[in-house]
Amino acid sequence: MEIVVLVKPVPDAESRLRPNAGGTELDGEGIKWVLSGYDESAVEQALLLKAAVPGSSVRCISFGPAPRTEEVLRASVALGCDRATWVERPVGMPADPLLCARVLREALRKYPHDLILAGKQAGDDEEGIVPSALAELLGVESFGSVVDLRWHAEEKRFRFQCVLDSGSEKVEAAGPLLIGLQQAWNDPRTATLPNILRSRKATIDRLPWSDVAPLLGAFSAGRTTSQRFRLPPPRTGARLIDYQSPEEAAEKLVKILREEAKVFP
Amino acid sequence: MRPSVLVVGEAVHGQLSGPSREALNVARSLAGSEGRVTGLLIGHGLAAASAEMATLGTDRVRVVEDAALTSATCSTLAAIVRAEVEGAQVSVVLLTGSVRYRELAGRLAARWDASVATGATELSPTEGGGLRVARPVFGGRATEELDLGGPRCVVALRPHAFPPASTTAPAAPVERRASPPFPTGNAPAPKVSALESTEVTGGPSLGDATIVVSGGRGLRAPENFRLVEELAASLGAAVGASRAVTDAGWRPGSYQVGQTGRSVAPQLYVAVGISGAIQHVVGMVSSRVIVAINSDAQAPIFRVADYGIVGDLFAIVPALTKEIRKVRGLS
Amino acid sequence: MPDFSLTAEQEGVRDLARKFAKTEMLPKAAEADRLGRFPEEVLRKAWELGLMNLNIPSEYGGSGLSLLDQCLIVEELAHACGGMTTSIIANCLALEPILLGGSPEQKSRVLSPFCGSYNIASFCLTEPSGGSDAGGLLTRARRDGDHYVLDGEKCFITNAPHASLYTVFATTDPALRHRGICAFYVPRSTEGVVPGKEEEKMGHRASSTSTVRFEHATVPVSQRLGAEGDGFSIAMRTLDQTRTPIGALATGIAQAAVDYASEYALKRRTFGKPIAEHQAIQIKLANMAQAVHAARLLTWQAAWTIDHGKTGTLESSIAKCFASDAAMQVADEAIQVFGGYGYMKEYPVEKLLRDAKLTQIYEGSNEIQRIVIAREHLKAYA
Repeated sequence: MEIVVLVKPVPDAESRLRPNAGGTELDGEGIKWVLSGYDESAVEQALLLKAAVPGSSVRCISFGPAPRTEEVLRASVALGCDRATWVERPVGMPADPLLCARVLREALRKYPHDLILAGKQAGDDEEGIVPSALAELLGVESFGSVVDLRWHAEEKRFRFQCVLDSGSEKVEAAGPLLIGLQQAWNDPRTATLPNILRSRKATIDRLPWSDVAPLLGAFSAGRTTSQRFRLPPPRTGARLIDYQSPEEAAEKLVKILREEAKVFP
Repeated sequence: MRPSVLVVGEAVHGQLSGPSREALNVARSLAGSEGRVTGLLIGHGLAAASAEMATLGTDRVRVVEDAALTSATCSTLAAIVRAEVEGAQVSVVLLTGSVRYRELAGRLAARWDASVATGATELSPTEGGGLRVARPVFGGRATEELDLGGPRCVVALRPHAFPPASTTAPAAPVERRASPPFPTGNAPAPKVSALESTEVTGGPSLGDATIVVSGGRGLRAPENFRLVEELAASLGAAVGASRAVTDAGWRPGSYQVGQTGRSVAPQLYVAVGISGAIQHVVGMVSSRVIVAINSDAQAPIFRVADYGIVGDLFAIVPALTKEIRKVRGLS
Repeated sequence: MPDFSLTAEQEGVRDLARKFAKTEMLPKAAEADRLGRFPEEVLRKAWELGLMNLNIPSEYGGSGLSLLDQCLIVEELAHACGGMTTSIIANCLALEPILLGGSPEQKSRVLSPFCGSYNIASFCLTEPSGGSDAGGLLTRARRDGDHYVLDGEKCFITNAPHASLYTVFATTDPALRHRGICAFYVPRSTEGVVPGKEEEKMGHRASSTSTVRFEHATVPVSQRLGAEGDGFSIAMRTLDQTRTPIGALATGIAQAAVDYASEYALKRRTFGKPIAEHQAIQIKLANMAQAVHAARLLTWQAAWTIDHGKTGTLESSIAKCFASDAAMQVADEAIQVFGGYGYMKEYPVEKLLRDAKLTQIYEGSNEIQRIVIAREHLKAYA
């Protein structure tokens, strides 16, 4: 089985976020870029399938700027992906999701695949647009928020669960499919030290932007006329409730929640 | 000119979902009195939901009903929405932010080259006839603002970010449509089972709930977690947990709120015995009101909370449950 | 000018150690310290990830890292728990004599199977009668045909109760002093090898320590490393290699103390403001930050020197001595910043002081380090 995993570098949860002077992007200084948690689950799922289906191979693909994109591809190789493709996005070009979907469609033409895996959304912008947009462009079925994907060789079907808002569905489907993985359900592995060292020497296949751009055709990229980031006003810290007894604390809090915060009648 | 808006609503167990009501409210304020609001429902057993939709500020309601649509795939839903929109005067498509309907955004936008955003918590018309959208990113640690332009915009809203539409009279006409043939790229077509409810407590799920009560390591032992569940029950809230609790196996991983669990943004989030590690905070910081109950006055949770009680949770939480039951007339 | 930036590879290695420290070690550190429990599951996981036999070349199943890369890892691990770190890196110490003194045949016979699965080795040098005076050890190795018979007792041996292999230093004749010392590798299964009971320690309580007795233990000559009388040199050259990572370990403890103290100082309020805004606390934090910074740079420089083929005796002694003194001083000040809370076991800083103390004592006490430093230093003036 040929499996493709789409991955994306995102700022580590502990990175400090600071918009630049114009608020148009987040200041790169001090941001640590890592594989998104959703993508880690997707890579783990690919590796589990690879182990279960003899003769399988896993290719990770990412569209993004240097150097962080190459780094997350190496991290994916360290986890166990066999090959990696970096579609280079010029530094400074906005990360429009529809552009990204079109670019990935072009990249996927080069690699035959039975299954495309992705995180159901990215850990930074949390859009979740790219997987379903790409599925639409490819004309394949897609399912997001998936856990526990298995291959049933005798029926040539995938079986998996979709975790929806108020329950879950069991799905059986034939490939090719695009599957968006739920985060952290499969306890993604940690790359071992020898594999990290080996991944430094792995070949990363590169698709330069100049090769990809002419393939995209007429397309009005840049859905947004502007983009700004703002940080929430710093929380000033909790207003602590003074009380003599637990009952008094409860009474005061409920009164505040009803009359001041108005969160319930 | 005010836009014409299509709201793709959802019925859950035959009833119009809360996020659908919210989307209808947003649609009406975008459309004003000149623009047209069309409600669309897709599925099976939609009589009650479509009747309600007709009274929530819509100009008309379209219903595409078919037993086969009970568990429709995203590509099927997209084909139906496209049949409804293409050729019609619709400039904004609003989707609820549920897991499945949010996925529609990417498909529709890709097909139309439309400007698109998901997880919107603020939405307003711009002077140029487009939309200004704000959406939380980085687990609520920042907000991204986008101006959407072009002939058609697709926006999925974040659940619970907007108030629901209020009832209007008279009811709009409801028109039933035959389901168009929905071709699928895959042969044979995927088989999707009926929705199995995963909720054992009977309370709302984490993603749906307007109130979430979560417990952490401060509860000290798995049997004490019932204090959190009782408080949640009194509030009609969903139950969540910090990673410490799910890692220790006190509750399954599906309860986990945070970076490696679910992100929630309810109207009220109550953190019981949770210290407030950044990994937890990114999953709940967009909640409108946050209450923390913890014995450690220095716990970082008090920096993100709006209201705090420093004290013994084993005394405070039962008193709080009792008080809430009292004011809600439950005892 | 020297280049202090890390390569992408080094960052990857360090990130792995940081993640392991945070997710696998830190959550268990307080409990392991309280109970004096050796967390074998943590060591197994460290082995699975390749974090255990850092100095062993990859051809023998180790990670084959430079000393600088080893130091990057050790500092990160020690940030979470000094005791666990000492146990995790104890194999490096125990196996280094085989790397230095073993024949190619001995290396592939012992190291490959040993490193190919989860195994623990212990370095048996120190004796009850003295640790730093390695030339004066009393454990006897009596030659008997193609065997040696070992008799004596070793003490303060890290991981000894869990080890399957010991590297042992013994003398054929105490009168020969260091010229009589031989090095051996001795499997635990050898008859007459008796690990003692676990010691109760002040700090490093997650690390396991005991005596090892040799009671007429018969060891084939083929298990001797190097020639008869090479043992002292093997031991000293081993310590030249492993001293620098102790500097990294101490730096990790010190960095943890600065981190805890700084976070606390920003949130703890007295007299209407965070204590980090009081100058008395700022001066403490500034001094602590300087000490950690200097400790790290000295450690990196020592590692760099040895990685470039020099013995680095002066540099590694300075790094070990300075970093361990810094760890003690910084952990002490961290407790002071925390005030009464810092003295309570509920908070993490008192453990740092207890853990830091050992770094001034083991792998050559700081008194011995100063003797070495003075000797090396004075060579330039003689």
